[in-house]
Amino acid sequence: MRRASAAAAVMLVLAGLCLAQAPRAGVEAHIGRGVKLMQDHLFEAAANEFEKALALDPAEPRARFQYAVCLITLGRNDEARRQFERVRKQAAESHESRELRYIAYYLGRLDLLASDYASAIKKLGSVAENPPYPDTAFYLGVACISAGDLASGTKWLERAAKLTPRDYRVHYRLARAYSSAGREQEADREYGLYTQFQNEHKNTEKDARACADALRTQPVAAAHEVCYHMFDPNEPEKLTLLGQLFGDAGAFTEALDPLKRATQLDPNSFDAWHNLGVTYFRLQRYGEARAPLEKAVALRPEFYGSVVLLGATLYMLGDDDDALPVLEHAHRLNPADAQTAAVLEKLRAGRQKK
Amino acid sequence: MASRGVKPLPRGKPSGLPFHAHFTDVAARAGLRAPVIYGPPDRMDYILESMGCGVAFLDYDNDGWLDIFLLSGTRREGPVEGVTNRLYKNNRDGTFTDVTEKAGLVRQGWACGVTVGDYNNDGFEDLFLTGWPQNVLYRNNGDGTFTDVTKAAGLSHTGNRWGTGCTWVDYDRDGRLDLFVANYLVFDFDRIPPTGKNPSCNFKGVPVNCGPRGLAAERPILYHNNGDGTFTDVTDRAGISAAAPGFGLTAVAADLDGDGWQEIYVACDSTPSLLFHNRGNGTFTEEGLQTGLAVNEDGSEQAGMGIAIGDFDTDGRLDVLKTHFTEDTVALYRNVGRGGFEDVTRRAGLAVETRYVSWGAGITDLDNDGRPDLFWVTGSVFPEVERKHPEFPHKTPRVLFRNLGEGKFEELLDAAGPAIAEAHASRGVAFGDFDNDGDVDILIMNINEPPSLLRNDLNGGGHWLKVKLVGTESNFSAIGAVVVAGYGNRRQSQAVLASSGYLSCSDKRLHFGLGTASAADLEIQWPNGARETLKGVAADQLITVKEGAGVIARTRFKP
Repeated sequence: MRRASAAAAVMLVLAGLCLAQAPRAGVEAHIGRGVKLMQDHLFEAAANEFEKALALDPAEPRARFQYAVCLITLGRNDEARRQFERVRKQAAESHESRELRYIAYYLGRLDLLASDYASAIKKLGSVAENPPYPDTAFYLGVACISAGDLASGTKWLERAAKLTPRDYRVHYRLARAYSSAGREQEADREYGLYTQFQNEHKNTEKDARACADALRTQPVAAAHEVCYHMFDPNEPEKLTLLGQLFGDAGAFTEALDPLKRATQLDPNSFDAWHNLGVTYFRLQRYGEARAPLEKAVALRPEFYGSVVLLGATLYMLGDDDDALPVLEHAHRLNPADAQTAAVLEKLRAGRQKK
Repeated sequence: MASRGVKPLPRGKPSGLPFHAHFTDVAARAGLRAPVIYGPPDRMDYILESMGCGVAFLDYDNDGWLDIFLLSGTRREGPVEGVTNRLYKNNRDGTFTDVTEKAGLVRQGWACGVTVGDYNNDGFEDLFLTGWPQNVLYRNNGDGTFTDVTKAAGLSHTGNRWGTGCTWVDYDRDGRLDLFVANYLVFDFDRIPPTGKNPSCNFKGVPVNCGPRGLAAERPILYHNNGDGTFTDVTDRAGISAAAPGFGLTAVAADLDGDGWQEIYVACDSTPSLLFHNRGNGTFTEEGLQTGLAVNEDGSEQAGMGIAIGDFDTDGRLDVLKTHFTEDTVALYRNVGRGGFEDVTRRAGLAVETRYVSWGAGITDLDNDGRPDLFWVTGSVFPEVERKHPEFPHKTPRVLFRNLGEGKFEELLDAAGPAIAEAHASRGVAFGDFDNDGDVDILIMNINEPPSLLRNDLNGGGHWLKVKLVGTESNFSAIGAVVVAGYGNRRQSQAVLASSGYLSCSDKRLHFGLGTASAADLEIQWPNGARETLKGVAADQLITVKEGAGVIARTRFKP
C-alpha cells in the first residue's frame, strides 16, 4: 500500500511538471490512475487501467508489471505468471537487473502458491541476499519448510524476523519450525512474540478502519478525534500508517505530526521518511521536503518513487544543479517514464543556454 | 465473522476419474417437509437470526435404523404456529414419521446445537440442546418419550446465555458422560447495535447485522456428571476458564493426540480456535496455538464455524477440517503426531474454493473407495448483500472435494448428483446411513426451508464396513472411542463423536469405505483406555462390538 501510495504521488507530481507528449499522455494517465486505484485497494479497476495502458503501448514494462501485481492480488495467478514472464523477458533483453529481482520475487511467490517449492526456493533464493522486499526471506523460509528442509527454512525465517520484526506471520511460522525441531523454549518465545504482534496488528487494523471511515464521512476536524486513537507516541509503524491515512484523505497538515514522530522513533524507517517527504511536497513546503526525501533516498537509493520526488523537489526549489543528477538517476531507474525524461530535457536545455 | 479477502487459487485440470456417489435430495419424499424457521424469511437483522442450528442422526428407539432430530429457531416478534424442534422416526422404508409430540419434544425457541449420548448409561441415547437464552437436557425414557430434566440435572443457568457447540465427553474416564458447552457471545435483542451501526455491521458497503466483532465474547463451560442424574460446573477447576474468551461455535471431543484421553476442540468465529488438551488428571490446558489448530498457517485467525474429524490421509491419525467465511479457505489440518497439526489446505488443493460462507462439514468416504472425502454446506449470513452484489448470493451450493490420494483433493462441481449444486442457506449437517444400504447419506439444515436429506445412490462396487461400539466399563455410547481400520495398505482412524459438522451430531456407527479390500483389521481404543483388536473382519456388514465381549452382532443390510 505504501509503495503504491508513493508511486501515485510521484505520478501526480510529475504530471504537473511536464509538458504532456500526446502518445505518452494516455499511457501515463492510465498508469497513474492504476497506481492510485491500487493504493485504494481497488485492484480490479486498477488492472483495467493497466490493461488500457498496455493497449496503447504493449511494450510498457511498468504497466505490465503493475498489472501482474494486481492479478496476483485478484487471485488470477496463471495470468499473473504470464505477465511477469513477459516483463522478465523484456527486462532480461535490456539487462535490467533491478527489475529482474522484483520479478523473481513475485514469480517465486507464485511458485509457492502453486506448491512448486523447488522453483520457489530457486527464485526467491536468487534474490534473498539483496531482497527487493523485506518479506522475501519470509517466503523463502516458508518454501524451504514446505519442501521439507526445516533447517534452511528456520534459518530464513530467523532472517525474516530480523528484517520484519513486527510481522506476526514470521513469528508464528518460526514458532512452528522451532516446535517441529523440538526447540520448545524458542518456540514459546516466538509464540509470545506472535501473540503480541498479532494483537497489535488487530488493534491497528481496527483503529485504521475507524480512522479511514471517519475521514471519509466526517470533516477532518471531527475525524481527527477518531484518528488520534492511533497516535501512539511509541509506535513508529502505527504513526506512519496514521500519517498515511491523513495523507490519503488529503489532510496533509494533520499528517505531519505523526510522521515526524515516526522518523524520530525509527530513523531507519524508509516509509516514515518517504511519506514525510511526500507530505511536505504536497503542502508545497519544498524546503522542508528535501531533507526527508534525501533520507529516504539514502535508505533506498533504488526506489524510484523517492528519487524522482527528490528530483522534483530540488527542481521546484530552483536548485537545478542538484536536481539534474537526481533526475538522471531516476531516469536510469525507470527509463520508460516519459515525464521524467521531459523534465530532464528541460534542465539540460537550460544548462546549455547558460 | 470476517472475510479475509482470500482469492481462490486456479483450479487444476480435472482428473476425469469417475465418482461413484450420486446424491439426490429426498427430504420431501421422505416426509421431511416442515420448514426450519430461523428468523424472518428475507433478512437477518440480528446475528442470532443468521447463525442457524444443527441436526442429528440418532437411533433413539434402538431399532437399528437412524432417526432424525431437527432443531429449530423462531422469530423475534413471537412464536410461529406449528414451529418446533422435531423428532422423526425412521419407518425403514425411506420415509419418516414426525413423532415430536408423542415423544414430548415440542419446543419452540432459538435452538442451536445438539449432542446425542447416553449420559445415564441406561442404554438409550439422550439429547442435550443448546440455544439462546437457555439450554435443555432431555432424558430418553426408553419408551419413545423424553423428559426435560434440565433443572433437576443442574444444567439451567441464571440469566440469558447463547449456548452453541456442545458435546458429551467422558473427560475423566469414569465411564460417565460429562458435558462441554461452548458459548458464542453476549446477546440481547434490545442491546445489540442496529444493522449498519458501525464498521463491524457492514459488508461490502451494505449495512448488515452486527457481530461478532464489537460484541462481548463468552467462555465455554464444562459440567461433570455426578452419576446421579446431576451435573456440577467444573469450568474453573478443570482449567477451562483459564482460556481467553472466544466466539465459540462447534465443539468436538476426540482423542486427537492418541494418548487415550479426549481433547476438546472449539471452532471460534473471528478469534483463535481453542484446543483444550486433556492432561489426564481432570484438568485441561488450552494449547490451540502450540498444536497448530488455533489459526491458519500464517497465524491469522479465521471465522471458525464447523468442524470435521477424520483421517483423510489414512495414516491412522485423526485430522481436522474447519470451515470459515466467504473469501477465505477452509482449513485442513493434518495430524503429524506428537499432538501437532500442520495446515495443508493449499497443498491439498482446497484453496480453489473461497466463494461461500461454510458451515457443517465432514471427512467421510462418500464413494467407498477407501479414501475419505470432504463435504461441507454453505450459505450467506447477509441476505441483504445479494441485492447489491449478486456475486455474494444468500443461497449457495454444497461443496464436495473427492479424495485423490497422496493428500490431494479435487472439487466436484456437478459430478456427484443434482443435490450438490442446489443452493440453500444451510448450516448444520449430519452424516449417516439412514436407509442402511452401506453408504453415507447426508442430512442438512436449511434456514427457513425444509431440511435436505441427500440420499447417496452409490455404485462402483467399493466395499465397506460399519462398526457400532457399545461401552460397558466405558460410557454406553462409546463416545470417545477410536477405531483404526487396516485395509490394503491403509490405516484409517475414526472416532465416535457426540458432536461434529456444525452444532450437529452424526451416526455413531463408524463407516469405513474399504475400496477393493474385502476385509479389515480393527484396532479399538475404548474411551476408558482399554484396547481391543479384531483381525480379518469381513467387509459389507455392520458389526456391533461390546467392550470386553468382542463382536456381539453382525448385520448384513438388505440390498
